[in-house]
Amino acid sequence: MSEFLSNLRLLRRMNWLMLAVICALIAVGVLFIFSATQTREGAMTQLYQMQIKWAVAGLACYLVTTVMDYRKLRDVAWWFYVMAAILLVAVLFFGTRIYGARRWLMFLGVGVQPSELGKLAVIMAGASLLSPPAEKFARLPSMGWLFLLAGIPMLLVMKEPDLGSALVYVPVTLAMLYVAGARSRPLVLLVLSGVVLVTVVLAAVALPEKLGVTPERQDRFFRALRLSDYQRDRIEVFLQPGKDPMGAGWNKRQSEIAVGSGGLAGKGFLKGTQNILGFLPRTVAPTDFIFSVIAEETGFAGSVVVLGLYGILVVCGLYAAMVARDKLGRVLCVGIVTMIFTHVFVNMAMTIGLVPIVGIPLPLVSYGGTFMFVTLFALGLIQSVYVRRSGI
Amino acid sequence: MELRRLRVVLFLMMGGLFLLGGSLFSLQVERRHEFEQSLHRQSMRRVRLPATRGRIFDRNDVCLADNQPCYNLAFYLEEIRAPGRWQHTVDEVNARLKKLTGIIGRRPDISEQDIWLHIRKRLPLPLVAWRQLDPAALARLAESTMDMGGVDIYIEPVRRYPRNGLAGHLMGYVGRAEFTDDDLEGFQYYLSEMEGKAGLERVFNNVMAGAAGGRLVRINASGLKHAESRDKEPQPGEDLVLALDSRIQALAEEALRDVPGAVVVLDPSNGDVLALASSPTFNPNQFVPFLSAAMWDAQNKDPARPLVNRAVAEVYPPGSVFKPVTALAALNSGRCGPDYTHDCPGYFMIGAHPLKCWNPNGHGRVNMRKALEQSCNAYFAAVGLQCGYEAIEEMARQVGLGKKTGIDIDNEAAGLVPGQAWKKKMWKDDWRPGDTCNVSIGQGALTVTPIQMAVVAAALANGGTVYRPRLVLGLRDRGGHFTTNYSPVAVRTLAVSPSMMTTVREGMHDVVMAPTGTGARARIAGVELAGKTGTAEFGAKEERRKHGWMLLFGPFDQPRYAVAMVVDEAVSGGSTVAPRLHDMMDALFNGDGKRADG
Repeated sequence: MSEFLSNLRLLRRMNWLMLAVICALIAVGVLFIFSATQTREGAMTQLYQMQIKWAVAGLACYLVTTVMDYRKLRDVAWWFYVMAAILLVAVLFFGTRIYGARRWLMFLGVGVQPSELGKLAVIMAGASLLSPPAEKFARLPSMGWLFLLAGIPMLLVMKEPDLGSALVYVPVTLAMLYVAGARSRPLVLLVLSGVVLVTVVLAAVALPEKLGVTPERQDRFFRALRLSDYQRDRIEVFLQPGKDPMGAGWNKRQSEIAVGSGGLAGKGFLKGTQNILGFLPRTVAPTDFIFSVIAEETGFAGSVVVLGLYGILVVCGLYAAMVARDKLGRVLCVGIVTMIFTHVFVNMAMTIGLVPIVGIPLPLVSYGGTFMFVTLFALGLIQSVYVRRSGI
Repeated sequence: MELRRLRVVLFLMMGGLFLLGGSLFSLQVERRHEFEQSLHRQSMRRVRLPATRGRIFDRNDVCLADNQPCYNLAFYLEEIRAPGRWQHTVDEVNARLKKLTGIIGRRPDISEQDIWLHIRKRLPLPLVAWRQLDPAALARLAESTMDMGGVDIYIEPVRRYPRNGLAGHLMGYVGRAEFTDDDLEGFQYYLSEMEGKAGLERVFNNVMAGAAGGRLVRINASGLKHAESRDKEPQPGEDLVLALDSRIQALAEEALRDVPGAVVVLDPSNGDVLALASSPTFNPNQFVPFLSAAMWDAQNKDPARPLVNRAVAEVYPPGSVFKPVTALAALNSGRCGPDYTHDCPGYFMIGAHPLKCWNPNGHGRVNMRKALEQSCNAYFAAVGLQCGYEAIEEMARQVGLGKKTGIDIDNEAAGLVPGQAWKKKMWKDDWRPGDTCNVSIGQGALTVTPIQMAVVAAALANGGTVYRPRLVLGLRDRGGHFTTNYSPVAVRTLAVSPSMMTTVREGMHDVVMAPTGTGARARIAGVELAGKTGTAEFGAKEERRKHGWMLLFGPFDQPRYAVAMVVDEAVSGGSTVAPRLHDMMDALFNGDGKRADG
């Protein structure tokens, strides 16, 4: 405890710019959650207050994490990993079913998404695996260990099903391996084979006739891939923008209209008609599609500001990795930054139609307690690495 | 190596963020208009707003057609919308309908099916559940303590004819407008609008309808109304000012009160239609807001044909009221002067066939004036043969027979002036002397409309000017300023000398004023009138059915009124029509507090 108190002075060495950016993003999130729920009734109008509570709790956790020495992770990472894995199994059996997927566990009235904890667990366990003293594993065989490490929670998350969250594990694992010094050739091969697989899936959805594939064989292929019907629909509407505008294509189309009609300067705070009139589906406006609301109401100018804030966050995170005093801190920072970047990129890209719709939130901005808390904890780890940077 | 690889990661991530920035630029700046349009298309709807319909006034500013508010009860689904499936909202509406039925006291005008139809087709508009609430129901609604959220009075203008059936045939009626694609260009929704379906309502529909406006409704993703704004104000229609005098119209309708027929009263000095009545008539208020199918059937299948405007749309053989035209033709031909005489034994032989005169004892030797007074068939048959049919046909056309007068009312009939060519075509036969004799006394194939005969009466009254009947004096805007004036139109002046006209007019004078005149029963105190009766046979000969006719004008020296009247089933013009015109003219000139209610 006394050690903890003596570490408090480390807070002065914190990256203040990063904290400012975090607070700014949280503020943006609260404002636009308020905007996105302005036409709702009852408890839904209180979402922004919930978000503030989560943010305060998260920031407290952030500060505590900053003060704590990240090197202790080596002791707890595996316990954390095992707990997350148990929760991921538990959610498959006891999770609350929402829209056909079990992603939530209820603890004392608070909903927790184990898949978010899983990401963190993989990053922490992976960082310890890839740094001394475990580093001896990190030669070629350790790649296999890491894939096993990341693969277990990834498959469990896919099972929920939550393909979007599951896919986040891929870039995170690759980036950690890359920075930890894995040989490039297998990594490149891996990435290439991933690209080929995605291409094959897309081609199978889009061009069955042209490739001479019968619908039955197409079905069998998708069953083998465990791709559900709604996932197929999402890929199809992504490839064919005009398809099914009232059904599967609705969210994508309405999100694009919201963003596009925002123009250069936006329609003004609380004045986004796509949101007010309910064209942007009300259930996802404060969560996965919060960026559509922001882009509609603040226009290109506002979108670029938000984009810039994330840019600063990425730079700060990677800077912490560069100045980290050891490999554990470096790989940890890279894993966390990659996780956040992947969320930001995929979330924004889906709201403007660059990638198919996958339900993953925008860090610090989308409504959602677990992810807010996890994100702030993770950013706290980055600060913890930063305040203990080399050269003291 | 680790630092280099970190830089690669940083570089890749920055690249990703720039890619996002570029895409956002493309979407929000370059393609902005495309998305604004999509937004507009999916969330804005234009509703066509009807303009206030123009009114109809008579020449003394008596209102004959007006608009009045109709109080409907409407549901506003955007306020009633229950969460979840639409069935919940329909249940909610049904629950209110049930409660309101108790208050209003009659069943709603809509079924559950109508509610679904409304949700599918006209969601952002009010759903009218009860039309035309009476004051008692409105009062009960105002006093009721029921929660009226989403329910409100919805006012719609409806057509009202304050004088009820007066000039019903001229007014015509309105019905629900049927829109063409052009009318609805740029509109997604329209409200029920009225459109003239018959009579002046139809003929002047365009000027009275005005120009529709528009309202922009912003709808939400469910299709319900979110907000609305005026887009274009409707331009109110123009009022019609008629030449009609509702006092005279009432008298004319009174003259027809119990018989089918028609009366037209013109001002001989300009052709103004002072009255135009047809019997049996109908009350155009029955057609408001729309006529039920059952009533439409009843009106249409009624053997008395109340929807037919006999004054313009029905053709009759004119019978003896044509004789003044024959007389003018004969005089004008130069082959028989006013002193031409014929000895009537009670018939006229055409070859071997006798043409009966109405007086079996014969009229003896008569000249033209006397022959008109007595309406001697034999005389006019002889005159017809004397002057030749071409002269008669020519004169008939000059006075405007065989052709529409051009009065501004729908369904006008042209009538028929037969001739050589016509007979060849229709009967494959030559024109024979018998045909000439028949037409000379207004029979044969000759047919006319009452409005045509009124024009003839007016021409005889004013000394030879054939006017196009003027029904509408002009159009007035809402501020009371005339925007259009219709001047009297003299179609032609008859090519006859004043002395010829005098001969015919004197004969017609005697018809009414001589003690033995066939139209003596039309005589009234204090005013000299002139006229001509007629009794035209129609249908199979053995049925002996007759139309009764009379033309009348007066005062004789400076005529103010020219009248033509026909009664479908009559004993004779002199006995059936003349007394009715007596009553009308007496009230017109001498006043009659009881009947002339104008």
